[in-house]
Amino acid sequence: MFKLRDLSINFLGLTLENPFILSASPSTDELEMVVRGLESGWAGVILKTTSVEENPVPLKYPMMSSFGNYYRRVIGLGNIDLISKHHIDEIEKRVKILKEKFPEKMIAASIMGSKKEDWQNLVFRLRKANVDLIECSFSCPQGSMGEAPGKMLAQSISATEKVTGWVKEAAENTPVLIKITPQVTDIVEVAKAVKKGGADGITASNTIPSLLGINIYTFEPYPSVFGVSSYSGLSGNAIKPITLRTIAEIKRSVDIVISGNGGAYSSRDAIEIMLVGASNVQFCTLPMVYGFRVIEELKSGLSHYLDEMNLKSPLEIVGKSLEKIKSNEELPLIEVKANIDKDKCIGCDLCFISCNDGGHMAIEIKENRIPEVNIEKCVGCALCMQVCPVDAISMKEKMDEKEVIFNRR
Amino acid sequence: MSDLKGNNILEKMMHEAERCLFCFDAPCEKNCPINLPISNFIHMIRNKNFYGAYEKVRESHPMINIAGFICPEEILCQKECIRSKIDSPVKIRELHNFLTLNFVKNQNLSLSPYKYEDVAIVGGGPASLSCTFFLRTLGYKTHIFTEEDIGGIPFTEISNDRLQKEIVKKDIDFIKDNFIYELNIEKVKSIEGLKKDFKAIFIGIGLGDETKLEIPGIDKDGVFYARKILRDLKNGKEISLGNRIGVIGGGNVAFDVANSLKNRFKEKEVFIIYRRGLKDLKCYPEELERAKNLGVNFYFQSSPIEISGDKKVEGLKVSQVSLKESEREKRRSFELIDKSEFIIPLDNIVVAVGQEIEDGIFPEIEKEDGLIKIDENYMTNLEGVFAGGDCINGGQTVTKAASEGKIAAFKIDEFLRRSK
Repeated sequence: MFKLRDLSINFLGLTLENPFILSASPSTDELEMVVRGLESGWAGVILKTTSVEENPVPLKYPMMSSFGNYYRRVIGLGNIDLISKHHIDEIEKRVKILKEKFPEKMIAASIMGSKKEDWQNLVFRLRKANVDLIECSFSCPQGSMGEAPGKMLAQSISATEKVTGWVKEAAENTPVLIKITPQVTDIVEVAKAVKKGGADGITASNTIPSLLGINIYTFEPYPSVFGVSSYSGLSGNAIKPITLRTIAEIKRSVDIVISGNGGAYSSRDAIEIMLVGASNVQFCTLPMVYGFRVIEELKSGLSHYLDEMNLKSPLEIVGKSLEKIKSNEELPLIEVKANIDKDKCIGCDLCFISCNDGGHMAIEIKENRIPEVNIEKCVGCALCMQVCPVDAISMKEKMDEKEVIFNRR
Repeated sequence: MSDLKGNNILEKMMHEAERCLFCFDAPCEKNCPINLPISNFIHMIRNKNFYGAYEKVRESHPMINIAGFICPEEILCQKECIRSKIDSPVKIRELHNFLTLNFVKNQNLSLSPYKYEDVAIVGGGPASLSCTFFLRTLGYKTHIFTEEDIGGIPFTEISNDRLQKEIVKKDIDFIKDNFIYELNIEKVKSIEGLKKDFKAIFIGIGLGDETKLEIPGIDKDGVFYARKILRDLKNGKEISLGNRIGVIGGGNVAFDVANSLKNRFKEKEVFIIYRRGLKDLKCYPEELERAKNLGVNFYFQSSPIEISGDKKVEGLKVSQVSLKESEREKRRSFELIDKSEFIIPLDNIVVAVGQEIEDGIFPEIEKEDGLIKIDENYMTNLEGVFAGGDCINGGQTVTKAASEGKIAAFKIDEFLRRSK
């Protein structure tokens, strides 16, 4: 009944009907699931990372663990997954089937190899199947078949550049994305190596190496695999801030196309990821937790956002926040004071206790439990604003004669 | 945790705990008569430190098992819950009950050695037991003197529908095992006699007598007083009643009688007969709700005039009354309406119009309005003799009685230290 905005974008020469892609993940590891995903409206798919036949894939189960709260069970999802149990043979067949069934969608595949011949052989076979795009996993934190075993490929600058070169040499005109990890000392150096190696773009980024938790009674880490466990790759909403930082850092220093990945749970999250420089956004944990149907909200949310902002194409927002990201030294010195909206305040006094014990002892309680800011003592740190359960606190910012009210966490 | 299997009570309670804002200087605690550390124990539940939460509750209230079932949270802690300004109050009593039913751990109980002199406690109900509890934690030896075994009203009268005996026993046993130095089951004849042996005495004797209803025909067969019925019901005694039972009164006791009778004898008709109107009722809202759900009937604005019948009750003659807002009292005042009498046909009548302190007990102690008079230090007119519970407040909640016992314990401590 309601028409959506045209959300189509151009991505490395491919036309996508919207900027939302299913990333290489369990959601893209079965043909039937991929078909359902694409039918439900996702613009494209990157099939789960595959490799050559010689590499056996002994997957360990249980594989998943998570943390969250009452309102959202899975805020962070950890997995000890490796790569697809299907080898290139099968993937090649699937690409062909999918290309035929969905000529308008982006059908991409993710690969991982060790030797040069492996990488190039994988690329050749995917090209033969007419794949739209090839993503190379340089960053699976759980296992690596890169140059140095036990280490992620993208953690070595020289290896990143070299392997990117191999892949691009074989891929020729087929676009190549290198999927990197945020777990490096300097993400910009890695991005530069990817660019030097000749890749068309970067997928930033991947899950983050982590340990999801420990059973304090048995000492077993999660997910417990018969009493023992291994490090997990952490995904989900919990890692969104890290993804935003990673993409922003790359985009500010390296001129390269970025496919955003990691932590988006909503259209608003996706918009944020695009605002710091991603041309599109990949999703893995969100559809894993709630199903492919979440594409409805993503499309509708982006469409209404474009309406509100009076913009034509989603690509107009890419990188719009970058000029607002500064180093700490560059930030202005301003006068900030907390401001409590007495009409909204419910008198829980959480602002008082956090300011008193963790801020600057600048909130006092007046009668009827109503807190009041002591302007002399308040430095404007905004801790109170974070803890207020009803968003009754805003920050009044003042520089020269200009005053701004900042009222979002 | 075994009780939790097979349903989602743990999940439910964790979610409920999650709703708590953890207010600073929490208003729920302030509106708890005994100032239970509510925000603190809920914070511990939220962090799955269930035993820590249990200990917090256990050390702050001697009657936690009883309170977990019958505390009127709607008019106490939950009434002040700030969460209700966002949506609805946190279910504090349920969280409390969840702890006391599932996470009992008393093995780390560590009471200081006896340090001070002996204190006498007269009475064995919630106020007395609470006074005992806190005096013991302060290091006093407590000697209880009580007519019947300890427990008081919760153990003997509050209906099984609301509070099972084994729940009460948990609190009683905990106090018996750890806090009482000496238990004497004997009636104290005179306080002066006790004063020879004890420098400080606490009186928590409750209310011994039921307020009599003085209308013609009150002596007919089939008229009972509420507490006898409650005791019989509590003890599972056979009670022979007719088909139509009228309960006169509008307080918690009247409702407890009416509700338990209706619940026990579904086929009988039970009537609450009250002089004033619906909004003047003194019972807890949840008791009224229960009465409605059980199908108890009501006669409001009906003042008993006479019990009719030959030798046995056949009916209650009542007069309709008009109600007026009163300046002196919270409840409305009433006036009989001329020639408005009618007879409610009844087979039995239960009188539940109030209780008073036992007639003539401890004449040396000053009374006021039928209750023991105390000063701001909970001390009676006799030096070193303190009082608390129903005998000073006229009958309120178990938690209120416990809180008075608690305050009195600290006042006794103060008094004894000062008089050294």
